Amino acid sequence: MIALRLGLTVIVATASNKRLSAPERRSSLINAAKALFADKGFHGVSIDEIVTAVGVSPAILYRHFKSKDELYAAVLQDFSCQRESYVDTIINSDADFEAVLRGITRVFIDSIVCQPDLLKIELYSILEGHEAHREFFLNRWKTFTDYIEYSLNELQSKGRLPKIDSKASALMYQGMLREVLLLKCLQQSEHLKDYSLQELLDKMISQFIKSLELN
Amino acid sequence: MSSFDSELDAKGLNCPLPILRAKKAIAALASGQTLKIEATDPGSVKDFEAFCKQTGNELVSSAEEGGNFIFFIKKS
Repeated sequence: MIALRLGLTVIVATASNKRLSAPERRSSLINAAKALFADKGFHGVSIDEIVTAVGVSPAILYRHFKSKDELYAAVLQDFSCQRESYVDTIINSDADFEAVLRGITRVFIDSIVCQPDLLKIELYSILEGHEAHREFFLNRWKTFTDYIEYSLNELQSKGRLPKIDSKASALMYQGMLREVLLLKCLQQSEHLKDYSLQELLDKMISQFIKSLELN
Repeated sequence: MSSFDSELDAKGLNCPLPILRAKKAIAALASGQTLKIEATDPGSVKDFEAFCKQTGNELVSSAEEGGNFIFFIKKS
């Protein structure tokens, strides 16, 4: 998979190696580095591998990034600042707690399915204690913790929900969602091969809603 | 812009909550009335633009003041 991806990168890069503007060249370096860092982590990737993937000399890379650390920071920044738009989901839903939760979860998982590297890079940022892991939370996971916490507090104030800890419930949901994504997008778990990602998430959300004892 | 009929404090909340709460607040307004929204999520700027474009409500103004984003939306 790595070889195939690298091979593709090299072919594309060779065909369009010249005449790239500075922003385009910078972007091509970041894109090649994203795939490599996601597969091998920061310490597993050399500058040589990155320049080979792009088809440029190390001097060109250093013209755009002073060091591997700086390139890695740019990769983290690129991933961690990505946000999904939930406007369509909100406009097209009837504002029911479960319907909105299912809708925003669907948008979120679609973004991960399209780019599982995002999940890998986030995990690396957590393990490495990189500051970017806060951005991953603020730009991505906080959508769920805010929505669940706020909504559960509101439902409790209306008497539609027994007294529960809304923060703990939000964390529980985040944990379940993250685990399902890890199992289905990164680990391709044999144990769960009979379920599609969507089926698994549908069951998980149903279980979560059931556990809340909404009335 | 200072005239409004209803106000929504969405500070500290990430999208989609500001949009969801604004949708509910606008539903309670009469046509032509204005909702003022305060939010801190930078993503709310694009979100409210898209929201108004899709719902037909008018985004009268969108501004930033000291880290707060303030929107005035007039119900269509």
